[in-house]
Amino acid sequence: MGATVRLPGALRDATGGETKLAAAGATLGELIADIDRRHPGFAERVLDETGALRSYVNVYIGEVDARTQGGTAAPVPDGVEVMVIPAMAGGAGAAAPRPRAG
Amino acid sequence: MTRQLVLPQALRDEIVAHARAEAPKECCGLIAGREGRATRVIRCTNASPTPEVRYTIAELRRVVEIEDAGEELVAIYHSHPRSPAYPSPTDRREAHWPDTAYVLVSLRYDAPVPGGKGPFGPELHGYRISDRDAVWEVALEP
Repeated sequence: MGATVRLPGALRDATGGETKLAAAGATLGELIADIDRRHPGFAERVLDETGALRSYVNVYIGEVDARTQGGTAAPVPDGVEVMVIPAMAGGAGAAAPRPRAG
Repeated sequence: MTRQLVLPQALRDEIVAHARAEAPKECCGLIAGREGRATRVIRCTNASPTPEVRYTIAELRRVVEIEDAGEELVAIYHSHPRSPAYPSPTDRREAHWPDTAYVLVSLRYDAPVPGGKGPFGPELHGYRISDRDAVWEVALEP
């Protein structure tokens, strides 16, 4: 069982610059462990101290958001493309003050 | 680390038009390009439940499409309808793309300011934001 994992942009430094790599596993957790064996530290970048996906890391298994399928327990169909991508978010935050007159 | 991004006027105009169209909500999107030169702006959907003060880009998969087209993601943009074009604490806390520029557009003086001399127009600035909360200015070249 295996998948092609895409790591656009921000996570590629965790894989020595590789943005597309083959990984083995029947679940998302197994895929991450497989990549971590070759690129130690990768798992820590995407998983928190409890072993769950970090809140800002998004994973799509094919078209499916892995969080809706149990996170790291999500099944990975053979040959599927998996995308691991950090969130793009932010904003002005708490109600911004209006510009002062004058 | 790249400290400049070539962002042609036509693309700046597109970003400002997007910001104005979404105000008072924040707009957001991606800027594709090659070797530090922006070539196109991709408007995205702001999926935040509080879009007046937050943004969350919904179409993350577009990044893979950019790379498959032989381009790079050179910047992520969003608007601050009422506050300065500078990374807010929220922007810094939620920045996870340290090698990609963040382009911010502010509309705070884009409309007449009561009692003031404005409008002065939109402000547009580029930054890099590290995952350690540091901010560097990225010069936006024409």
